[in-house]
Amino acid sequence: MFNKILIANRGEIAIRIMRACRELGIKTVAVYSEADENSQHVQFADEAVFIGSAAPKESYLNMDVLIQAARDSQADAIHPGYGFLSENASFAAAVESANLTFIGPSADSIRAMGDKAESKILMKKAGVPTVPGYEGLESDEDFKKAAKDIGYPVLVKAAAGGGGKGMRVVNSENELTEAIELAKREALNAFGDERLLIEKYLAEAHHIEIQVFGDKHGNLVHLFERECSVQRRHQKIIEESPFPLLTPELREQMGQAAVAAARAVNYHNAGTVEFIFDPQPATFDLRPSFYFLEMNTRLQVEHPVTELVTGLDLVHWQIRIAAGEKFPFTQNDIHQHGHAIECRVYAENPAAGFLPSTGKLLQFIPPQGPGIRVDSGFAAGDDVTHFYDPLLAKLIVHAGNRADAIKRMQTSLNDFIVHGVVTNIDYMRAVLETDDFQQGKVSTRWVETKFGEWHVPQPELHALIAAALADVVFIGGKTQPAVSNETDPFNPWKQTGNYRN
Amino acid sequence: MKTTFDTQTIEINPSGENFVTVIDGKTVNVQIARADALNGRMDLLVDGQRVTAHVSSDLAKRWVTVNGRTMMLTKTSGAKQGVRHDHAGGLIAPMPGQIRSVSVSVGDAVKKGQTLLTMEAMKMEIRIQALKDGVVKSVSVSQGQTVEREQILVEVE
Repeated sequence: MFNKILIANRGEIAIRIMRACRELGIKTVAVYSEADENSQHVQFADEAVFIGSAAPKESYLNMDVLIQAARDSQADAIHPGYGFLSENASFAAAVESANLTFIGPSADSIRAMGDKAESKILMKKAGVPTVPGYEGLESDEDFKKAAKDIGYPVLVKAAAGGGGKGMRVVNSENELTEAIELAKREALNAFGDERLLIEKYLAEAHHIEIQVFGDKHGNLVHLFERECSVQRRHQKIIEESPFPLLTPELREQMGQAAVAAARAVNYHNAGTVEFIFDPQPATFDLRPSFYFLEMNTRLQVEHPVTELVTGLDLVHWQIRIAAGEKFPFTQNDIHQHGHAIECRVYAENPAAGFLPSTGKLLQFIPPQGPGIRVDSGFAAGDDVTHFYDPLLAKLIVHAGNRADAIKRMQTSLNDFIVHGVVTNIDYMRAVLETDDFQQGKVSTRWVETKFGEWHVPQPELHALIAAALADVVFIGGKTQPAVSNETDPFNPWKQTGNYRN
Repeated sequence: MKTTFDTQTIEINPSGENFVTVIDGKTVNVQIARADALNGRMDLLVDGQRVTAHVSSDLAKRWVTVNGRTMMLTKTSGAKQGVRHDHAGGLIAPMPGQIRSVSVSVGDAVKKGQTLLTMEAMKMEIRIQALKDGVVKSVSVSQGQTVEREQILVEVE
């Protein structure tokens, strides 16, 4: 087993990994950029190494500096978390050649699945169903021809990418050129590779993914599905397991397809095979009801959903497998218990196109109670900056069945208090309240086409009373000018003196 | 004492140990059960009904959570105010970030919805589009430049 692990990440996932390390008796090393000097993950670690300026390229994406930090701190393994370098094959290879262990799959597996175009070809060979589309196109003319052939709407996406970056839905030919241009630029910026692929866009489909796990001794299992169709800007906000519309037969088929996909690239460690699921496939043309989308060769943001349903600690197993341990269980030992839902609490404004919201967290009170888990990387007083993903926390609940899990999530969202930045908490609660969500009918385009625009509700009487009363109670009301643009009367985070009056 | 949030005015006056508030001509009695200045929490009895509120303050902004709903209110002098996204025909940065590309120059005719420039913030590409047909009057930023929230980027007449 390892003595010390460097976590090449930040925020909630860095803390989540450190927690697992602590439980396994392993020392932890955090890394931090200029913007993260006082962040929670730095505070949480046994030691911390400064790695550069705030821009990710200069710090969390800087391979040499990260590997040097691991060496200097005498860590024997690196956990990449998700995002940043987690799916970068060169990084995995560089870590291994520095005689450190990369806690994740082999560089070869990452490379094979990292290229969306090539992985698709590989999957076709392995007998895994794939979405109709084209790879390796270059000119606008080729894209136009391909799109016409597939039929609009089509999806252009980064060949090297994932996570919705460099991805655009195109509804008609006149949108194609701009979409390609933007997708290319985003892809280049996010992955350093501007190649795109184009495929059929399935409008009413669900996003279902299967968690897979392999050890280094050839054992591969799946940990069932996660439903991740509630998305905005092609990024997930609510995930759950099990998926209520999945029959035991289909679950079995998808699980086997996912294991076959992983086996095709000799996969070990945690991975996720994403599928597009068509709840009502046309039976006359014998289309399959699910298609391979891509494989994420890392731990997923939404892994806690699977942990709560299967009772397995995915990060523990990531570490133990990387250290060479063998699974003591087989597929038949793994079961789904009850129902889990995750809501991603983002600092963003649903009433303004989900634009990220930055600022100082004046208040940050996560909910507590039976069946409630909060994975968070922030505390009151922390700054939410524009440099990184605006994920504040993941709220995950577990209950005996789906209806109870939804109720538990609704009350937990009610109890989650965040001041200082705008969040999507109220928005997600409104989503959970809809009949479509309650019936499990939410497809990936639902937010965009059915749920519609979000408007901030009018302030309630009690909120106005409380706000007015706070000025009186907390600061006495005497020194308040009519327009208090300069004063900051009772914010404990700024109470370093200097009342203007 | 009168306070105005956005366009709603509320009057608060002490009455013995309690408070009497007047809002929209309605009188409401408020008793404070406890108030903790450190975490901004107040337990209130509003006309006999128990209410827990969390309030935070940042300049003129008040963040209030009551019954699981969080509102951001802005303290004003009572005059009507709103968040202005376009500033006299000018388009402003919705958040801090970096300019990725500028596709127009002064004097260009633009159509409503046309992308004038793109910026990147929090790993996302944001398109700044013309709100109306018109002619570009000024372009205040260039590629690679870092901009602040609400900084004017382009003006269209």
